[in-house]
Amino acid sequence: MAAEGMPPMTREQMRADLARLLRMAPEELEDDDDLIDLGLDSMRAMALLTRWSEQGVELDLAAVAEKVTLGAWWALAERALAVRGDG
Amino acid sequence: MVDGGGFAAPGVRLTEAQEGLWYAQRLDPGNPVFNTGHYLALRGVLDTDAFRDAVNGMVAEADSLAFRIGDGPAGVTQRPDTALRPWLEVVDLSAEADPLAAAQAAMARDMARPVDPARGPLAAERLYRLSATHHLWYHRAHHLVLDGFGTELLMRRAAALYAARVAGGDAGPPLAPFDAATAEDAAYRAAPRRARDAAFWRQALADAPDVTGIGQGVALTARSTHRAQAAIPAEDAAALRRFAAAHDLAWPDVMTALLGAYVRRLTGEAETLVGVTFMNRFGSAAARTPATLMNVLPLRIRFDEARPLQEGVEDVATQLAALRRHGRYRGEQIRRDLGRVGAGRRLHGPIVNIQPYHEVPTFPGLTAELHLLGTGPVDDITFDLRGDPTAHVLRLDVEANPNLHTAEATAAHATRAARFIAAALEAGGLAAVATATPQEAQHFVHAVNDTRHPVHDTTLARLIETAMAARPEAEALVFEGRSMSYGELDRRSAALASELAARGIGPDDLVAVALDRSFELIVALVGVLRAGAAYLPLDATHPADRIARIMAAAAPRLTLATAALPGGGAILPPADWPLDGQAPNGPAPGDAAYAIYTSGSTGEPKGAVIEHRAIVNRLEWMRAHYGIAAGDRILQKTPATFDVSVWEFFLPLIAGATLVVASPGAHRDPAAIARLIREQRVTTAHFVPSMLAAFLAHPDSAGLAMARVFCSGEALTTDLRDRFHDTMAAELHNLYGPTEAAVDVSYWDASRGDHSRPMPIGFPVWNTRLYVLDAELRPLPPGVTGELFIAGVQLARGYLGQPDLTERAFIPDPFHPGERMYRTGDLARFRPDGAILYLGRADGQVKLRGFRVELGEIEAAIASSSLAQQSRVIAREDRPGDKRLVAYVVPGPGYDAAALRAHVAARVPDHMVPSAFVTLAALPVNSSGKLDRSALPAPDLPQSEGRAPATETERRVAALFAETLDVPAVGAEDDFFALGGHSLLAVDLMLRVQEEFGRDPGLGALFEHPTVERLAALLDSTALPPTDDGLRPLIVLGRGAPDRPPLFVVHPAGGIAWCYGGLARALAPEVPVLGLQAPSLDAAVPPMESLEALAADYADRVLAAASAGPIHLAGWSVGGIIAQAMAVRLRDLGREVGVLALLDAYPAEVWRAAPEPDDAAIYGALLAIAGHDPAQHPELPMERGAVIDFLRRGGMPLGRLPEAALDGVVRVVEGNNRLVRGHHHRRFDGTLTHFRAARDHAGRDLSPAMWTSHAARVEVIDVPALHGEMMGDAATAVIAPALLLRL
Repeated sequence: MAAEGMPPMTREQMRADLARLLRMAPEELEDDDDLIDLGLDSMRAMALLTRWSEQGVELDLAAVAEKVTLGAWWALAERALAVRGDG
Repeated sequence: MVDGGGFAAPGVRLTEAQEGLWYAQRLDPGNPVFNTGHYLALRGVLDTDAFRDAVNGMVAEADSLAFRIGDGPAGVTQRPDTALRPWLEVVDLSAEADPLAAAQAAMARDMARPVDPARGPLAAERLYRLSATHHLWYHRAHHLVLDGFGTELLMRRAAALYAARVAGGDAGPPLAPFDAATAEDAAYRAAPRRARDAAFWRQALADAPDVTGIGQGVALTARSTHRAQAAIPAEDAAALRRFAAAHDLAWPDVMTALLGAYVRRLTGEAETLVGVTFMNRFGSAAARTPATLMNVLPLRIRFDEARPLQEGVEDVATQLAALRRHGRYRGEQIRRDLGRVGAGRRLHGPIVNIQPYHEVPTFPGLTAELHLLGTGPVDDITFDLRGDPTAHVLRLDVEANPNLHTAEATAAHATRAARFIAAALEAGGLAAVATATPQEAQHFVHAVNDTRHPVHDTTLARLIETAMAARPEAEALVFEGRSMSYGELDRRSAALASELAARGIGPDDLVAVALDRSFELIVALVGVLRAGAAYLPLDATHPADRIARIMAAAAPRLTLATAALPGGGAILPPADWPLDGQAPNGPAPGDAAYAIYTSGSTGEPKGAVIEHRAIVNRLEWMRAHYGIAAGDRILQKTPATFDVSVWEFFLPLIAGATLVVASPGAHRDPAAIARLIREQRVTTAHFVPSMLAAFLAHPDSAGLAMARVFCSGEALTTDLRDRFHDTMAAELHNLYGPTEAAVDVSYWDASRGDHSRPMPIGFPVWNTRLYVLDAELRPLPPGVTGELFIAGVQLARGYLGQPDLTERAFIPDPFHPGERMYRTGDLARFRPDGAILYLGRADGQVKLRGFRVELGEIEAAIASSSLAQQSRVIAREDRPGDKRLVAYVVPGPGYDAAALRAHVAARVPDHMVPSAFVTLAALPVNSSGKLDRSALPAPDLPQSEGRAPATETERRVAALFAETLDVPAVGAEDDFFALGGHSLLAVDLMLRVQEEFGRDPGLGALFEHPTVERLAALLDSTALPPTDDGLRPLIVLGRGAPDRPPLFVVHPAGGIAWCYGGLARALAPEVPVLGLQAPSLDAAVPPMESLEALAADYADRVLAAASAGPIHLAGWSVGGIIAQAMAVRLRDLGREVGVLALLDAYPAEVWRAAPEPDDAAIYGALLAIAGHDPAQHPELPMERGAVIDFLRRGGMPLGRLPEAALDGVVRVVEGNNRLVRGHHHRRFDGTLTHFRAARDHAGRDLSPAMWTSHAARVEVIDVPALHGEMMGDAATAVIAPALLLRL
């Protein structure tokens, strides 16, 4: 995978990526904030997912769409990382 | 039908996303296009058991696949039915000779089967085994329960379950339940956000233009789609990624902008709206629910192509970002909010559907390849771009409605749009990108225009001199019984030429010629040419002001005329012409041959100057192409001021043939022309199409035979072509060309055997090129409308004395440096074969409710009727926002506005039929001879009486009444039926009501609430009763006084009682009228065994609805037979029967001996019910498909009835016939009142006296009508009062 040589994905990196996209400080972004209310839309989410996928975290668009919060997404990411770890 | 799928248990109501689809399927229950489906080709070793478990695991989670959706007392609801779960079926085809073909055929059959949502199953899952290592997983689902995103969810879920089973590990969470979708839908319907979204869309689209369709035709929902595909090459995908990254844009937004730009190119408009799909899943609890949530929303394509591409994409991306925030609001609702309802008033044109989440899932050990089979109905054309999120693999699929686009055009759009995208990305802008692909440009600019042909570089004067010298004794001219030889013509024209030369007149001088048709006219023209000068034809009868202006501008050296013209100048009358003399050397090929003035759109006449080389090319082409030879006799009847006369004059004179000159004025007299053609054995003649129409309408044209007839000057319609071949025997040729390009530049053979529709103007003549270009002079592909340009040897030198105008009209040919091309101002498009279709003047078009309307086409339709001498059609807007077409007509013999309207309606689409026909003694013209629009009176449109619509709902309902009935205004108290709505138009109205309000009260409601006021109140009432399609066994036709016993009217043969609407209205103020309709219109209701049983059933229904007191019955035709049997039955039950009225009905025994009705009789009856006389349509095959197709295509409301209802009518007609034959009347112990169609039954042995043995007393009332007219207004005026006296 493309993860070679890249640091593994962390919750704080995910928070930072989202905060940058939403033009806010990372510490202002709470785990259960509704990201759509903060201005995220499906198109920009897809771009993020693509970037994260290049870092080795494959998130399913449908799963991501179901609940659009950092907390929910990190839970999905943890699970994806765990599956990768198992494999 | 409506009750077919009724539920015992309540289900869940439909979501907003489902409602439109449900309605569309119900309108056309036989349509399979709502099936979505695909198959995955799986190569490698498949674990069949694991696969079965995986798919069945998915099926177990996806409740919507097992839905049953039907209409019940609680409205339309849905619920899963375990019996309908589409468990995987495994089909082994490996023993077949061609397993793949067998599987594909089986899938195609399955996709083509319409699904009744009330019965299901809505979905199927099948595994076709082709070999041990090749399987196809076929999936089909009704669009009501699954959209594209949902389909991918199912695929991925099955793949995950399979992977977990064969490779171990976690299959992930199950699919989300359907409740998530319904909960979300219900929440949104009630949320304040919905109102905010509505406001957003109103504001966003407030100034959006109407949408012009790109296809040709009426967008009926088709039963299939055309499909084509184009791969986006890897280097283009890379260019897309680079562009998106460089400008910080998302690639799907870039693609939306580019495909939107492509669509706008096809419309030729500055702004258009495309539909963009919105998956509606992000942030939704239903994100992982297999369901239909997808929404189609309007996007404005309005950016400036001249600006850098990223600016355009920015505008699109900004709109898309806003659209996503308000994307839950349904597109259908936006359309209703904006009042864009009804044919042609669409919210958006083609759809752009970007699917960036598209990925075929991975099945361990297998490769999978997706093959689409159907993605639901396509209204117009859809551009689907599927790609992975990183845009490495992109593919463009184009789907199109076959009613609007051919398969070839669909395939061309795929290739062309892909090429357009690539070129735009490469150029970083759109300005330099042609709509046509380089291959298309090469073909349509160069290949179809490769008309090079050697033509001797000479002059017209020289060609005529050669012919005159060759056979001096031959007959050159015939005029009013006299003839002139070539020798004589030679001598006299040489003499005139020498006289002109003696006056110093030579090359590039102008000599005006203003003579009536005569020998002298021909001598004058030839003489001027031989002198080396150019002739300027003038007509002394034209307005003096116009002639004076031309004389002043052209300044001819001399005028050949019998009297001085306005504007003065020297004249040389024929009497003063010398009879002998030597012609000078004559002109060179580059000298002017003639100058002809045409009317400019500004009103200032323009004189086009044509050189010898140009007209020689035109004449030599015509001589060779049509084999004109010395034996031909060519009619000259076109005035010399019209350039068609040029070939009439000179083609015979260069070919050594005979010119037959018609008498002055004869060109307007069909009888004189026919006589001349016969007496002079004319072989070749020209007609302007409107004159040809008048000529063919004259009895003397019948049976004429000529070698060939040419048409030009106006559009030749296919209708006129066909009439020509029905009337006379000759080849027919359609020519096109402006005065600015030596008469004609294109030709089309419209002889017998030409079935083109519409008829092209054809292909370019020798050494001539025709281009169809857009506003930026870029080549257009076939099928796309642009402006027609002409290049080549025939172009005029320019306009006399008007260099500015010349420079604007004759511009550099971008494809042949150093040459010029002429801008015609005509709209045209290429057919795929290179033939050109003429679409009218660029400035003669108006836009009306989204349709481009060519006024000339309507005028041509009027002209082809021969009911009008002259006509002009204009679009008027006498009330703001109410643009209407009005025809101004100078009536011809036998003028009848209704007949003319019917004639026009049969030839042009509905939206082009003028709202009013105004007769005038003459069309008002201004001083320049052009139509004076300001002097045209506003049409006297009928005004509605009574209260004007007051509420918003009333106004909208009134507008729909007006639109359906095609009347200008409707009052609040106006009754739909009283306004003349054929009762079947009611179907049409209620479709529009559904479209406009999103609610469907059904047809039955209209019968009960027929006024604007009442229907609006019904629509406003919060509790809309369940849909009533007007086909229930008992319907209210008229309300009447509640305390009066009602009249029950029994349906005639077709089982529907709507025909009694007129009678009901006449009785309604006093007597309620209820209609009995055949219960077996519903397929689920078995037909009755006997007419006695039918009558008993109807009697029960009557008793359930009747109050105490006598029961009144009436029936027309078969309905009368049934009514008599019901009366007997009611007496059996001890009920009192008041009136038993038989409307021209005759007892059953009369019909027993008649022949069995065949298909012709049954489908003829269906046509008759729809208001057509079957005898008027001998061409129509009397079989189901053809007749129903005819009704649908003709826009007949009966044809818009659900298919099941049409089936029902056919079934009932057949069934009633059987019942009547088997029926034996019993005696009714009361009075039978027989209304006899007194004007009918001549020669047939039908009489009311036949009832005397079946009733105690028979009373006969004569109605002056035919049997078929008994429901008409005139008959009702007799029947209703007579009934009222007896009720």
